[in-house]
Amino acid sequence: MLLPALVIILVIQIYPFLSGVRMSLTNYNLLKPGKEKFIGLQNYAELLTEDKTFFGALGFSFLYGVSIVIFSYILGLLIAALLNMKMKGRGIYRAVVLMPWVIAPMVMAANWLWLLNDQFGLINHVLVSLGILKKPILFLTTKYMTRFTVIMIGVWKNLPFMTITLLAGMQGISSDLYEAARIDGAGKIQNFFYITLPCLRSVSKVSVTLLLIWAFNGFENIFLLTEGGPNGYTMVLPIYAYNLAFFRSRMGYASAASVMMLLCMVILTLINQKFSREAE
Amino acid sequence: MKKYVSKAVMYIVVFGVCFLLILPVLTMFGTSLKTKTAAMRDLGMFPSFSEIYLGNYIRVLQTDSYVRSIVNSAFVSIAAMIFCVIAAAFAGYAISRFKGKIFTGFIGLMLVLQMLPTMLTLLPMFMIYKQLRLNNTHAGLIIAYISGSLTFAIWLLKGFFDSVPRELEESGLIDGCTRFQAFLKIILPISKPGLATVSIFTFVRSWNEYMVARIMIQSDELKTVNLALQKFVQENLVDWSLLSAGAVITTVPTLFFLLFAQKHLVQGLTAGAVKG
Repeated sequence: MLLPALVIILVIQIYPFLSGVRMSLTNYNLLKPGKEKFIGLQNYAELLTEDKTFFGALGFSFLYGVSIVIFSYILGLLIAALLNMKMKGRGIYRAVVLMPWVIAPMVMAANWLWLLNDQFGLINHVLVSLGILKKPILFLTTKYMTRFTVIMIGVWKNLPFMTITLLAGMQGISSDLYEAARIDGAGKIQNFFYITLPCLRSVSKVSVTLLLIWAFNGFENIFLLTEGGPNGYTMVLPIYAYNLAFFRSRMGYASAASVMMLLCMVILTLINQKFSREAE
Repeated sequence: MKKYVSKAVMYIVVFGVCFLLILPVLTMFGTSLKTKTAAMRDLGMFPSFSEIYLGNYIRVLQTDSYVRSIVNSAFVSIAAMIFCVIAAAFAGYAISRFKGKIFTGFIGLMLVLQMLPTMLTLLPMFMIYKQLRLNNTHAGLIIAYISGSLTFAIWLLKGFFDSVPRELEESGLIDGCTRFQAFLKIILPISKPGLATVSIFTFVRSWNEYMVARIMIQSDELKTVNLALQKFVQENLVDWSLLSAGAVITTVPTLFFLLFAQKHLVQGLTAGAVKG
């Protein structure tokens, strides 16, 4: 019964993965088909010693992935706790909270660009007319503002997943625990720190790991907002590998960059596992 | 009195959070109901009732390339959904019920696969597709989408099957049906909500996918809805109200998903994620 899935995985994931690793050891170029040569670790040597863009993209990928996870986790925890309270129309709020997750990336990008526009955008318009700002913010121009903006939009996009998994975890906590705590005279804040958080440990571990991988791998979010620009300020590894492969036709080199991405991901996951194990 | 105040604060905070999360969706909908000039002039979120303008929707639906892209996306997503759910149901059932080295190995493999950067498999796949002439075809896209959703779908379904008591199929086995019959006739019908969730999940994932489509599809007549919308944005850069109408139409299928699957999705994620 495992066979169909196993065949699909072997043919569409494992085989391309292996040929990707093999390709990273060649100088394969899209413009010169049939002329590829095995060049050993030369691509990796170039990446690690000469390629400044690669390190820039690597650094921002880490920053992007880790900040999305941290912000989404904290905000997700608060929103999940809020939605777990007794109130009317909980189902509607949950559906609304899920919305950013199911919106097509192009729709999302177009709308944020429209909202953040310096002349016609709603956000600048409101802030200026309330007198909070003297002149509109250029959200996607300067280095720090652009980075901040794409990270915040990433948080907006990934927050629903975090919220819903944490909420699901909270619903699995037995009410007996809270009842016992109430008898012992614990307050709501104590409940949260001594019951809710510890009980959420296994859910947190899974969702943090998944989100870390997804955010670090994320392509379209930044690609559709800035294409890694302006001036490479928001360049992340997937976009860099994409540019290498399809604009500079260097397939072998792009594959080497992707293999490095996998290594980083493994390291990130191991660090995350170690932290969550120490917390236990 | 104190109780009412804290209730009121809670509702205000919930409304605030929800508002911030769907702000882009609200403005998109509002802008789509304005005329082109009103969208530039009037920066309020919605037009006043007398100024509601539906012309944008009519114009979008008259744009042949856009309508075709919706048909393309629907075809690709539904095909990927069907194959993915079938493969995932079998595999999810197998790892939920059978114990043994192969099955634990498979679970480990799935977790490792989650880590593979999409780009790393996509570049070689692009080359393989070129050799097989699957490049720039819907078949190629469907295959890629099946594998893209498969691991998460197996994961979700395993959670659902875990929550179905074993006694059910055991009684079937005693009555003389085979394992396979027990699965088809007893387990699958009970797991309908789970299957529905996974189907819609795969559908939305494929519907929203951008990167693979961007790399694999070049011809205009094969483009999926994200690509068409992007082209639409580039062509009508100043006409935000028209763009918003296009974006709203793109979002409608995923909103159906939300209404339908919200409840099951929470359960499915609990079953999959909580048990780890």
